[in-house]
Amino acid sequence: MPQTIYVSPRSVGAHDTRPPAVVTTDLARLFAGSPALAGVSLNVAAGRTIALLGPNGAGKTTLMRIVATAIRPSYGTAMVDGMDLARHADLVRERVAYLSHATGLYDDLTARENLAFAATLLATPDRGARVERALGDIGLLDRAGDRVRDFSAGMRKRLALGRILLGSASLVLLDEPLAALDDDGMGLVEQLLAAWHDAGVTVLIASHATERLEPFLDGRIVLERGVVAETSGEGVSSIPPSLAAPPRPAVAAR
Amino acid sequence: MTGLRREASLALAIARKDALAELRGRSAAVSTLFFAAVVLLLFGFALGPDTQRLADAAPGLLWLALVFAGVLAVDRLHLLETDDGALEQLALYPITRRAIYAGKAIGGFVVMLVLGVVVLGAVGILFAVDVAAALLPLLVTVVLGAVGIAAVGTFYAGVTVRLRAREVMLPLLMLPVLAPLLLGAVKATSAALAGDPFGELGAWLQLLVAFDVIMVVAGAATYGYLLED
Amino acid sequence: MKTRILGIVALVAVAAMVLIALFVVPADLNQGDAQRIMYPHVASAWLAYLSFGVTALAGIGWLWKRDIRFDAVALAAAEIGVVFTAFAIWGGMMWGDPVWGVMWQWEDPRLTTTALLLALYVGYLLLRRLTDDPERRATRAAIVGIVAAVDIPIVHFSVEWWRGLHQTATIGSPDRVLNPAAPMVFVGTLIGMVGAFTLAWAYLIIRRYQLARLDVERDEAARIERLMSARTAEVAR
Repeated sequence: MPQTIYVSPRSVGAHDTRPPAVVTTDLARLFAGSPALAGVSLNVAAGRTIALLGPNGAGKTTLMRIVATAIRPSYGTAMVDGMDLARHADLVRERVAYLSHATGLYDDLTARENLAFAATLLATPDRGARVERALGDIGLLDRAGDRVRDFSAGMRKRLALGRILLGSASLVLLDEPLAALDDDGMGLVEQLLAAWHDAGVTVLIASHATERLEPFLDGRIVLERGVVAETSGEGVSSIPPSLAAPPRPAVAAR
Repeated sequence: MTGLRREASLALAIARKDALAELRGRSAAVSTLFFAAVVLLLFGFALGPDTQRLADAAPGLLWLALVFAGVLAVDRLHLLETDDGALEQLALYPITRRAIYAGKAIGGFVVMLVLGVVVLGAVGILFAVDVAAALLPLLVTVVLGAVGIAAVGTFYAGVTVRLRAREVMLPLLMLPVLAPLLLGAVKATSAALAGDPFGELGAWLQLLVAFDVIMVVAGAATYGYLLED
Repeated sequence: MKTRILGIVALVAVAAMVLIALFVVPADLNQGDAQRIMYPHVASAWLAYLSFGVTALAGIGWLWKRDIRFDAVALAAAEIGVVFTAFAIWGGMMWGDPVWGVMWQWEDPRLTTTALLLALYVGYLLLRRLTDDPERRATRAAIVGIVAAVDIPIVHFSVEWWRGLHQTATIGSPDRVLNPAAPMVFVGTLIGMVGAFTLAWAYLIIRRYQLARLDVERDEAARIERLMSARTAEVAR
């Protein structure tokens, strides 16, 4: 059996003493005039593992990218761990980790070099040892010296997950984590979910279908056409988007 | 580690990463150098064969070649970040935008410095100018020019990285802004090669320094906005 | 209504100043009638610079307040500015031809800087045109505008040094007109022309801004409408 995966989240403590991991209010985002997110008002409690479900184009990726601070909302506000995204994006980045469709890896660098670079930027303590540990945890130690250019999609995904292990996120956002993974890879994701759950890390997983992840989920959010269709389970709630007042413009900030 | 020291080490880490990736990418780094050489050759064909005319024009030709090659060089550095969404990932790390700009600009500076030294030598040979006699002031000019081209180029490469018609827009935006640098560098080079008969070398170098400082500050202050969508 | 009054006043002022420049003010002793074009040329050049300054400041406003109306101001200033820039260059060439014997003189800092200004404007406007998303366009335009605006004084000084070190004074430049020893008639005409043109510029910018703002508000209304209909559709289900 592989050793326990090493995660080091930033904030620990009993669930009810921590602010909600994610709170959005009438969050909306348009692309070229068309709303990808129309109005999402969500509350995700800390330490929970929540699935974000919905068909293509429902807005799952857009929601994640806004919370990850990769893009700004067009309207509405969002808070992570009680911090406003618009005003404290830099602080939010310290506590959020995001696995997107694109892996953000450098093709001409080796797996080890990619992780070492990430560790430098993440200010991971004891860098060398942590990189080796992460490589071991994701099962890529034997390929650590190979260039990422030669990796399969599944291996890249593992490496991207390894990068998350180097940080100390309290909120992990996974966009279609199981895509392109083989059975071993999916097993790794399950191990990670268990480790994060034990460490009190909040996990939000966007997916088409999550049968395999069912046992790990606390709650579910279903998005459809840019709004929340329903929520179920524990640790997540939502209210319908505001209809009366016009949406508030996004707050000015860096 | 204090904030500024961490930013500096982050910038260096980014520059080192770029250097590693660029050196591993097959022969791409060297191609910019060959481009500059080809440009010099074409200048020779266009303005030659009168050696005196070429020698007189040499400072201008040197810097034109460097500026054109510079457009390609900074473009390459940003293209490194198109590997599978790397630029977006880079922007998500808990690092300041200034550090990202500085990292890219340092990489650009190193490339321009290498280009500058090599092209300087090539110009000396091809256009019969005595580079060795004025080596120190010429190298200072090359260093100052490299800083300016890197600072401005990195900024505009960031602006155009996902823009339509990028290959045209990058030079179109970058080159007019570089006009004072071109002017100053060419004048400084001429003065240096002639032994500075009018004592104007200092003034032109000061212009370059002022340009560099202003552009680095402006670039560092505004580059961050490009990374927020 | 106020804008219309401004427009009429501007029109009258410009017409008056043009007549004065053509018929009332005496011709320059050295250059003759060709010198008369200096008045609108200088006035246009001044407004070309002012417009770019407005564009840059409006860009800062957008980055700071994120109010898209700032971007509308930037657009208006850039479009009007490019017109004045082109006119200034044309005027400079028309003036230069009889006076210098050539249409272009590299050591004239105003002409060279204005030409570069035209290149900066064109780049700016093209950049805007090539970006679809309004917020991204505003941000990109703002930072490009700021960096370009910072560059302009450097260009001006560097060209002045270029000229100064070669010790050829530009013949018949308005510097001669603006010095304290110059006859009041020339100075007064120049100031009057600049004032009249500035009024016209202000009128044009306001009108262009109003158009741009209408566009922006219409787009915004369309966006909000689609947003609201998406919300109601789901809630109703």
